[in-house]
Amino acid sequence: MMYKKILIGLLIALFLGTAAIMSYGWYFSTRIEERFSARRWSIPSKVYSDTTLLYPGQRINPELFQEKLLNLDYRSVSHLPSRKGEMRSSPSSLDIYLYDLKTPWQNREGFAVRITFAQERIQHIKRADNGQDIPILELEPEEIMLFFGSERERRQLVAIQEVPEHLIHAVLAAEDSRFYQHHGLDPRGILRAFITNLRYGSIKQGGSTLTQQLAKNYFLTPQRTITRKIKESLLSVVMEIKYQKDEILEIYLNEIYLGQKGSVSINGVGEASYFYFGKPVTELSRPESATLAGLIRAPNHYSPYQDKTRCRDRRNDVLRAMHAKGWLSEAKLQSDLKAQVDTVGYTVHGKKAPYFIDYLADQLNALYRPDALSSLGLSIYTTLDTQVQMAAEKALVKGLARLETLNPDLQRIQTEQQLQGAIIVMQPKTGYILAMVGGRSYSVSQFNRITQAKRQPGSAFKPFVYLASLDEFKPTSFLSNDSKTYTVEGKSWKPQNFQPVTAFTVTLRDALKMSYNLATVDLAMQTGLDHIVDVTSRFRFSTPMKPFPSLALGAFEVIPMELARAYCVFAADGVQPYPLSLKGVVNENGDILQQKHMDIERLISPAKAFIMNHMLQSVVTEGTARSLKIKDIHWPVAGKTGTTNEFRDAWFVGYTPDILALVWVGFDNVDSISATGSSAALPIWADLMKSIPQYISESKFKTPPGVEKRTVCSVTGLLFIENACPQPVEEYFLAKHVPTEYCPLHQKYGLGKQIFKGLKKVFNDD
Amino acid sequence: MTTKRKEIAIACLLIMALAGCMKAMPPEKPALPTETVEPEKPTPPSPRLVASLQLTEQGRRLLEQGKTDNAIRVLEQAISLYPDNGQNYYYLAEAWLKKEVASEAKKFNQLAEMHLKDNTEWMNRVAQQANRIAELEK
Repeated sequence: MMYKKILIGLLIALFLGTAAIMSYGWYFSTRIEERFSARRWSIPSKVYSDTTLLYPGQRINPELFQEKLLNLDYRSVSHLPSRKGEMRSSPSSLDIYLYDLKTPWQNREGFAVRITFAQERIQHIKRADNGQDIPILELEPEEIMLFFGSERERRQLVAIQEVPEHLIHAVLAAEDSRFYQHHGLDPRGILRAFITNLRYGSIKQGGSTLTQQLAKNYFLTPQRTITRKIKESLLSVVMEIKYQKDEILEIYLNEIYLGQKGSVSINGVGEASYFYFGKPVTELSRPESATLAGLIRAPNHYSPYQDKTRCRDRRNDVLRAMHAKGWLSEAKLQSDLKAQVDTVGYTVHGKKAPYFIDYLADQLNALYRPDALSSLGLSIYTTLDTQVQMAAEKALVKGLARLETLNPDLQRIQTEQQLQGAIIVMQPKTGYILAMVGGRSYSVSQFNRITQAKRQPGSAFKPFVYLASLDEFKPTSFLSNDSKTYTVEGKSWKPQNFQPVTAFTVTLRDALKMSYNLATVDLAMQTGLDHIVDVTSRFRFSTPMKPFPSLALGAFEVIPMELARAYCVFAADGVQPYPLSLKGVVNENGDILQQKHMDIERLISPAKAFIMNHMLQSVVTEGTARSLKIKDIHWPVAGKTGTTNEFRDAWFVGYTPDILALVWVGFDNVDSISATGSSAALPIWADLMKSIPQYISESKFKTPPGVEKRTVCSVTGLLFIENACPQPVEEYFLAKHVPTEYCPLHQKYGLGKQIFKGLKKVFNDD
Repeated sequence: MTTKRKEIAIACLLIMALAGCMKAMPPEKPALPTETVEPEKPTPPSPRLVASLQLTEQGRRLLEQGKTDNAIRVLEQAISLYPDNGQNYYYLAEAWLKKEVASEAKKFNQLAEMHLKDNTEWMNRVAQQANRIAELEK
């Protein structure tokens, strides 16, 4: 009776146990299915810079160019480069074995080239193998940022078919040589591990199969408890029932942790292959495969970046295990054991172009959810030129430090209150944003002063007033530069010039050139404030502009990027580009999801743009920005300085037909910087431009149809009379404004003067 | 001073004296200059232009191959390198024509016209292109 009860009890317990195991198995099965059928890994999306073009005759900045190559993970070697990623440089040449160039638009195998330099110019680019000249060479885009989720993991997925057999053998030899024989659990392996560990009195060998390791990594916590071990075993068995061995192995090879790059972990053999050896997994050699396999047990302990000898010993253990399993011949083993452990090295780069990335992220967030960016492994291609970005960052830091040295009153103890600055560099004709520096230090302040700040532009706004006047006025038109009081909404307003002047009547050109406030207000009043507001509204300033006389002096705040964009219209022959930072988005399979092209809109005629360019060139050659000449800026540049009341803001916007840069300097709390646009912002601009000679073509602004040049009398602005008008000047006019009258002022003196000159000649001849 | 020259000098002084008694007469006006824009001197092609033309050709070939988006990308690179090369704008207009976006094609056609104004052969092509854009707009 007693036995019967026990038997029944046992049967019930067995039934319940089986039921519990089955339901647990079913539960795990569901979890595994969910996990494996959905996306298996979160792959961070990568943001890339634009590609870099190199061509013979191109000027380069050797320092930035070298930095660019290092950022692209090229490594210096002393021998002639024989592997992708190697370079050997001297002042006159660069031998480089290029990486593959893989973008959605092109796929080029890496090859070796020799670039020769003369006087900081590229002289020749030749293929190293056959000496063939290369007219234009494109360097791969630079990885500038990864959108990580909560897990900071780098991973490049590989399919099992891509994995070389020797890597599979190495992994199996190192971790689970009976993988293809067992069903998730390997009693023989457990027993062997138990005996080994007993012999050594410590844990020397693990008995876990690959499937168990995967179960642990994928579904469980790393704690060592009996319950976890039971769960792990159960999961492994279920996994083996549901999936093929190759599928499990593929997931394992992509999952395993294989090292650390700064704060980011390296997961999977695909990523590790690049991290340690700079090549895809398909190109790994047998000893390299054994090295990777050897890392699995303790990636950082055996890392070749930590200790090459220890790494080599571990690799050799793996090679011997491969030999023992019959996967490696004796001869190959002996040769592989002697192989060096050659790694590519790595650099942990700081955050690159952080303000640009924030600006880009805002646009991406409109297209993708944040979790999608951190998990879908998208490739995001941008317009950023990292050489320009580096140059801009350096110029700003240097320029602000210079100002603080010159004027110690500008120094602040609190870093958050420090003098600030911002730079944006654009290509005016395409709208590409080449660089964006939104502040002095991103770690101190993430406020992007290019895209988020609203500041008074001061005189940097004046060109839009002059542009609005061009239907009625010409560069030779005269304006009153005399003091006047204006009434605005019942209050009197009396503007003043920056410095007292003696010229009470000035031409339009001179007024802009010297940035006269009184003449500009006079022009604005004659042009009509409503008309100016109307014209500026076409430039898409998002900040409000009101028809007040102070509008003419830049009293209404603007967002610096919008001001830069507006100036692009002048540089781009009257066409406004949409500022582009994003070029394209591609998914893991290489399918293009988004593609952005240059987007332009004609705002003003090429003729008006040219007149503006020509007047703004005067600002640089003879006006408030003339100090550029002594800063070695000797090519055609147009630009405008800007300084606001109490010296709260200093601006310089300068451009050529190829490139435009805006520099702003000021305090966030609008303290005075006691410096002008010319003394504070302009030197930063000059420093930046001299650092990026590849963008300086020295091209002139092309004269478009609808513009005519005449020699005029500088006093009257009318056609000049030879031997009569004392100061002839060449001036450009819109076709409708070309003067047809001769200077009346000097006409009456003309005859006498001519006779006098004739007489003088006659007497001098004797 | 020769006698003849002295005579000329005296005559001139006399004229001046008489002129003082008369209403000032404007001097003979020189003919108005007729040239509109000063012709630009031919300069050897810059390295940037040479490199840009390589990309232009690449873009043209991509267009021929029907790879329109790729062609646009390459032509934009060509403009980045040398914005004054009008052929890039012509081919960009061609690309947008292929994509049947008349508004974009028109913008680039106008830029091509501006930059290629001195080249009769290209101007003919630009004009023909403008007609095709107008057709598309209908």
